[in-house]
Amino acid sequence: MDTHAPLYRDTDLVLSVESVTKSFDGFKAINDLNFYLGEGELRTIIGPNGAGKSTFMDLITGRTRPDEGTLTYHQADGHDIDLTKLEEYEINRLGIARKFQTPSVYNHHSVYDNFVLSLNRNRGVFPSLFYRETKEDKEEIEAVMELTRLDEKRDDMAGSLSHGQKQWLEIGMLLAQKPRILLIDEPAAGMSDEETDRTAELLISLKGEQSIMVVEHDMVFVRQIAERVTVLHRGHVLKEGSFSDVASDPTVKEVYLGRSKHD
Amino acid sequence: MKRFFPIDSKSEGLTLGLILFFVLLMPLLNGLVPDGSAFHVSSFQLSVWGKYLCYAILAMSLNMLWGYTGLLCLGHCLFFALGGYAFGMYLMLMIGELGAYKSTLPDFMVFLGYNELPLHWKPFYSPVVAVLAVFLVPGIVAFVFGLLAFRSRIKGVYFSILTQALTYAAALLFFRNDFTFGGNNGFTDFKYIFGADIRSEGTARGLFLASGFMLLAVYWLIAWMLQTKFGKVQKAIRDSENRVRFSGYSTTHFKVFIFVLSAMIAGMAGALYVPQSGIINPGEMWPTKGLDIVVWVAVGGRGTKIGPIIGAVLVNLLKSWSTKAYPDTWLIILGCLFVFVVLFMPNGIVGLWAQGKDLWQRRKGAGITEPEEAAA
Amino acid sequence: MKTYTTLCPVFILVFASLFFVIPDARGDEKNARSLLVDIVNGDSVGQEAALEALADESDPVINAFYSAFRSGNIFLMSTADGQTQVLIKEVNDYSDLLTGEAVNPTGELSVARASRGLRRDLKRLVDLLDLNSPNRSKKIAAAEKLGLSQNADYLPELRKRLPQQTEKSVIKAFQEGIYITELKVGSLEEKMRAVKGLGKMKSLPAKGFLEALIEESAADEEANRKLMVEAKNALMMINSHQAIVEKVGTLFRGLSLGSVLLLVSYGLAITFGQMGVINMAHGEFIAIGGYTVYIIQNFFANQFGVGSTGYEWYFIISLPFAFLIAALAGAALERGLVQFLYSRPLESLLATWGVSMILQQIFRLQFGAANVSVSSPEWLSGSFSAGGVSMSYSRMFLIFFALFVVVLTYLLLNRTKWGLHVRATTLNRQMASNLGVPSARVNMLTFAFGSGLAGLAGAFISQIGNVGPSMGQTYIVDSFMVVVVGGVANLFGSAISSLGIGMIDQSLQPVLGPVMGKISVLFAIILFLQFRPGGLFPSRSRSLDD
Repeated sequence: MDTHAPLYRDTDLVLSVESVTKSFDGFKAINDLNFYLGEGELRTIIGPNGAGKSTFMDLITGRTRPDEGTLTYHQADGHDIDLTKLEEYEINRLGIARKFQTPSVYNHHSVYDNFVLSLNRNRGVFPSLFYRETKEDKEEIEAVMELTRLDEKRDDMAGSLSHGQKQWLEIGMLLAQKPRILLIDEPAAGMSDEETDRTAELLISLKGEQSIMVVEHDMVFVRQIAERVTVLHRGHVLKEGSFSDVASDPTVKEVYLGRSKHD
Repeated sequence: MKRFFPIDSKSEGLTLGLILFFVLLMPLLNGLVPDGSAFHVSSFQLSVWGKYLCYAILAMSLNMLWGYTGLLCLGHCLFFALGGYAFGMYLMLMIGELGAYKSTLPDFMVFLGYNELPLHWKPFYSPVVAVLAVFLVPGIVAFVFGLLAFRSRIKGVYFSILTQALTYAAALLFFRNDFTFGGNNGFTDFKYIFGADIRSEGTARGLFLASGFMLLAVYWLIAWMLQTKFGKVQKAIRDSENRVRFSGYSTTHFKVFIFVLSAMIAGMAGALYVPQSGIINPGEMWPTKGLDIVVWVAVGGRGTKIGPIIGAVLVNLLKSWSTKAYPDTWLIILGCLFVFVVLFMPNGIVGLWAQGKDLWQRRKGAGITEPEEAAA
Repeated sequence: MKTYTTLCPVFILVFASLFFVIPDARGDEKNARSLLVDIVNGDSVGQEAALEALADESDPVINAFYSAFRSGNIFLMSTADGQTQVLIKEVNDYSDLLTGEAVNPTGELSVARASRGLRRDLKRLVDLLDLNSPNRSKKIAAAEKLGLSQNADYLPELRKRLPQQTEKSVIKAFQEGIYITELKVGSLEEKMRAVKGLGKMKSLPAKGFLEALIEESAADEEANRKLMVEAKNALMMINSHQAIVEKVGTLFRGLSLGSVLLLVSYGLAITFGQMGVINMAHGEFIAIGGYTVYIIQNFFANQFGVGSTGYEWYFIISLPFAFLIAALAGAALERGLVQFLYSRPLESLLATWGVSMILQQIFRLQFGAANVSVSSPEWLSGSFSAGGVSMSYSRMFLIFFALFVVVLTYLLLNRTKWGLHVRATTLNRQMASNLGVPSARVNMLTFAFGSGLAGLAGAFISQIGNVGPSMGQTYIVDSFMVVVVGGVANLFGSAISSLGIGMIDQSLQPVLGPVMGKISVLFAIILFLQFRPGGLFPSRSRSLDD
């Protein structure tokens, strides 16, 4: 299989990752990785523990730098931007938002203020000092709060929310940023079945407007949302295709399912 | 209106009113009440209280960093001392030929055999330069150090330890005679400030009032900042810096800004302190001084607007009383108090009320209470 | 304790060999005394014979006699039986010169006077006295001293004694003395030989004399060109040797400073690195070690008297006590305070700072605000020197002990169950506790061990520095730096960084002076951390939101 062959050259891409390698103390967490994300696509990434999923997200968001290879963001206006040169906040301002594995919200701020801080207004030091909330800002926040069903909790401290609500709050904060790419790390972790279903619904409803990359362990959840699935193994793309293609692939079964049985 | 008078509650307004009343009353008691009266405040007492106000400003500046942004600086005494030294240079030059050696040079320079004023001292004849330097010198030091530290993501205890090392290194430097700042003895024996006799009662009143109004001004600035989006970002950094960074804010810029601002306020407090204490020496930037400030803030209540003021004044009152009453054991008293505060009063004196309420409700079995503000 | 009792006899043997090997000099003393009496009483012939015979003696009584004779404190007393007794007066006590016994003078005393010639002869005798000393270092020092005086009178004495010497270092010292003297008083041929010889033996003391020689002959038209060339040659050899000596000296001082840093910071590396607790009272645990040594020293001084064999033991005995007492204090601090603050590192910093204040004041109240004096036992004072490099025994002992601590800690952490528990707790406190690691006990023991190491460090500092209430404060900033530079949670890193910082500090000091050197090191560390915030050996953590 020729993994170097681009899969989406004919459609609009938002992100191209080419020949990326990253090692820690000699251990190759990411090894010659090639990956392309299309406009409005919902992609699910799976892989056994230590396959390099989190490192992959770190590389895209500027948390770590690749040893080799390129990470290119294709702007809506047609310009390409090299992500390896930018800081996290600059990458975020381009429209790449990320949700962490453990919910990371501002515990000592109200739900409403959590959203205020997430709007994609000018986020410099002085504009923040002299920022005044406009009607438009309010409406955006109301809309996101409704979408994430947090409007009743608007004045509660984020720290007092349940785990599932925090997950939703974080997803809502990402949406408030109006990103082009959403990177979501294990959204279903710690959620009840009902919450999981609603999360899946939400992600599917976002498809088309935003490109979404979801890293997930929960196979039931993956089956619910999966359109196209990428399997990572030892920092390399092992298989890419529809959920059923991937699930029936013998090599995938061997490294992924087989291994998890023995764990 | 709340935007410009950022006061949260009636009790906060009342407290501020009391502070203002105190700031206005003390000079009146000094100037208008005759010497023999029980209500008379001597100039000495006035300057002691003036120093406490400076300490309060210093504690507030540290609270901006530690209480609201979660950056514990153990070297804040450095910025205080730098501001003090900058203003002290002006005061030294204003002594003119009234020093022990009757020279235009400051006494310590004559003593060390200088023939000429060093170049970097010359601009300090101008009070404008001196006042600018009070803000700029601590600001620049904080900017360089903060940029280096925050850029390479030094935080938590590492930041604390490094700031301690910074003030330690600076103190060693200032202890040296050839550093042109008076070595061990620092600056003292000031005579004039802005043309007025530094020992006169009028000057004491003026300095006290200036300290009091500066305290209120800094209070206003902090309160105003807290209710802006900037203030929210500050607290957000304390809670989850990564989330802030991944929300498009350069946390480095925010942290450098708050560090520089805090250092400048500390420098100003130092500049107000020096003419009232009449001396500045490298002891002011010794690492233990930096920890003292942290004690004030912790005792008063960090992350609260009024806490640092209460902490700075109370701890210093306790200190001056116990050094006289229990000269041998006051350090032990202070140490015990501090351990007690850390263990049992995580939110300081200001937090006691909420703590008490919490305890009362729990005793009554009133059900679940909100979790206490977690430690920064 | 069992190992300790079995080790005791070994220590006794070691000490016995240290203190009882001094040769018995009684016979020599008797001989010397009777010769001295001859000098006072005898006629000129007798005096000369006695002087001749004394030239081979080295007893200290000769020295005492000479100074007494010069200041008119040798007396003649006619005894009841008509004999003349020679008395020597030291301070206010008289003793019999012949026997050394104290005498209460009853008869009439007359001062014995020496002629000028006799005095000169005696002076020479005293100067040469140590050349005959059985003590090697005294002998070497005497030969060097005589050489440096460049006095022609002593040249034959040195030459005469040279063939009798057997030890290499002594022969070298004699030869060096002879050469240096010959530089001034010798014939051209002798000078030539001396210059070559000095160059060959890379004699550091000869440096100044060679430089003077070159300067002299440069001014002198008729001077021998060849001699000058040789002298320059020799000087070059000496200079390059000196550079090496200085480097070795810097290395040694750096190593010893590094060892001090290592000892003071190793305990901190354990409590801070392995447990994540910032113990600001660590410095006071160092002081506890120092004061323990002080107390035990005083106890031994009272029991056995200063300078006695028993007293010499005090330091070794105090080491385990310093460790144990500091460890107990550490355990108490952990149980009483630190255990409540594990999740709040900044607060543990503040609370332990309060403890530090309390402890310092207790020291002040108990032992006074001034530094207390701790003396080194005989076997730790003095120094070993070779090839111009001098290394004090206390610092050498320190270096070896630091090495011992590193090895011991390594073994404890990697070869014991406790070590396994500690490492597990470091990685994940919650997980370790869930897996059945008795974390409360492990934490207490770890904290106690780290504190005990601080106590040991304090014990050593008592031998090379001051013991006082704020002694810990001197080291606390440095030791935090060491741990941060080394990479937290990495003991090996701490060891490397303390040695590195020690070396850099010592090599900067000759250039910048002690204070500027220290400041530069501090700023260099701050800068270093900009580029490697995790230190030399950063520990990588997988958790995202740390």
